[in-house]
Amino acid sequence: MKRNLKYTIAIIAAFPMLMYTSCTEDKPIEDVEVEIVTDEKPLSEKFYQIPAPDEMFGFVKNSGLTYNKALINSPQKLTSYTSPLEQTMIFGVYSADLAYTAAYEEFNESIKYFAIIQKLAENIGISGAFNEELMNNIKNNLDKPEQLLENSNDSYFSVVDYLEQNEQGDKLGIIAAAGWLETVYIVANSIDYNKNEAALQRLADQKLTLDNLLMYLDKYNENADVKEIATMLKELETTFESIEEETNSSGITLKKKSEGKMVLGGGSSPKISKEQFEAIKSKVNELRTKIVK
Amino acid sequence: MKNIKNTLLIISIFAMPFIASAQYCNNFHTKYCPPSENGMYSLNGQSKSALFSKGQTSELNVIVYKGQDYRISLCFDETLGSQITYKVYETKKVKVEKVIETKTMEDEYQKDENGELAVDEWGEYILTGNQVEVVSKETVTVVEQQKNLLYDNSQDGFATELEFSVETTRRLIIEVSIPGSGGSGNTKNKLIKSTDMGCVGILVEHMTTPIQGFKGTGF
Repeated sequence: MKRNLKYTIAIIAAFPMLMYTSCTEDKPIEDVEVEIVTDEKPLSEKFYQIPAPDEMFGFVKNSGLTYNKALINSPQKLTSYTSPLEQTMIFGVYSADLAYTAAYEEFNESIKYFAIIQKLAENIGISGAFNEELMNNIKNNLDKPEQLLENSNDSYFSVVDYLEQNEQGDKLGIIAAAGWLETVYIVANSIDYNKNEAALQRLADQKLTLDNLLMYLDKYNENADVKEIATMLKELETTFESIEEETNSSGITLKKKSEGKMVLGGGSSPKISKEQFEAIKSKVNELRTKIVK
Repeated sequence: MKNIKNTLLIISIFAMPFIASAQYCNNFHTKYCPPSENGMYSLNGQSKSALFSKGQTSELNVIVYKGQDYRISLCFDETLGSQITYKVYETKKVKVEKVIETKTMEDEYQKDENGELAVDEWGEYILTGNQVEVVSKETVTVVEQQKNLLYDNSQDGFATELEFSVETTRRLIIEVSIPGSGGSGNTKNKLIKSTDMGCVGILVEHMTTPIQGFKGTGF
């Protein structure tokens, strides 16, 4: 929509004023009424949003999952990603790894991942997302572990803003998809099926997030790279499809409860069996291996 | 001539915000939607801003997770009016069985006095020279998106904030509608005045749902 907006200036209204001023150079310019019109109406659009990795990691940390350094992608592998698609995908992977280390306040690891992301941003042409203000803010807070998550989020949101402003929704889709997959990989491989019920439920809920992600990617399906990653994720969608919904007797509602708080509840929620959990984990691991190699 | 330049400069100064409006809108929600005073809330990455015109309706699809509180607030340019409608729907994919009818034209054959297909001396069916419409039915399973209205701010005094706890993870649609009819004239591509356009921001914040009441082993 934004790309196609062609603004035309309706000088017709201002034209007599131009003529007038051109003949009377010594007179000051009086009020000039300018009306700007565009020849295209902004289209009604559907936007599909993907939760950032921090939301997931914050939750699973609180639900009792422990940090496991072995699950994140090693910084030493950075040089093995050479093509633009590989580098864009791995940017998403390392961004999720950064959110993971930051959520668990792994101070030294976070610093390493900040550096990697900054370097990759240069390689894939989005270094503009890391403006001076953001970098100063990060540098000034490097010795404050409590600021880690905020810094990690700031850099992620800055990348999202930058790509949206520069109409690179396709690149954003690839980064978000790879980042989401890395997030699901870390969580799936941290869960003990018999012990981590809340995290398991959150994993099953990713069925809905994947829906949103695929619909977002579908907007850019003419891009071969987007198509490639969407095809990978559709394999995972098939695995998630097997999860059945456990239906509550009441339908979904958003209403005030006795203490005056609005509550979204009722309806159905996904129920994941051990076999389904293992199948999802196996597929996620397979797809993630294709990205990180 | 000097004044012409000045006038053009003024025009371009006036025009710049609109030419750059798409970029200007991108961070609108962080600049103009007042965040919650509750320090437990964090900015959610699903927040979004976009350029709207009068009469436009657009939707934002977001995921809200079980065990979290969300605060969704709306902010917008004054040019768009003072009463902007926003509705919240739950949306989900459902499998629906549909019967698809296919109509084809086929040759008609002669029938004998018993209603059976007649044959000639070589045992072949005999054409009448006419064609008849044949309807075949096939049942297929398709996936459809179903929408279920949960909240309409026009029923809530055009409130611009909505705060709720989530007990079951859901995909929600936040549908924003700008009143009025943007554009003028009856041409296919209506012209939109700059005064009919403006930014809309949707700020989404989240936090872990606070545990209420006393917690502990006690006595």
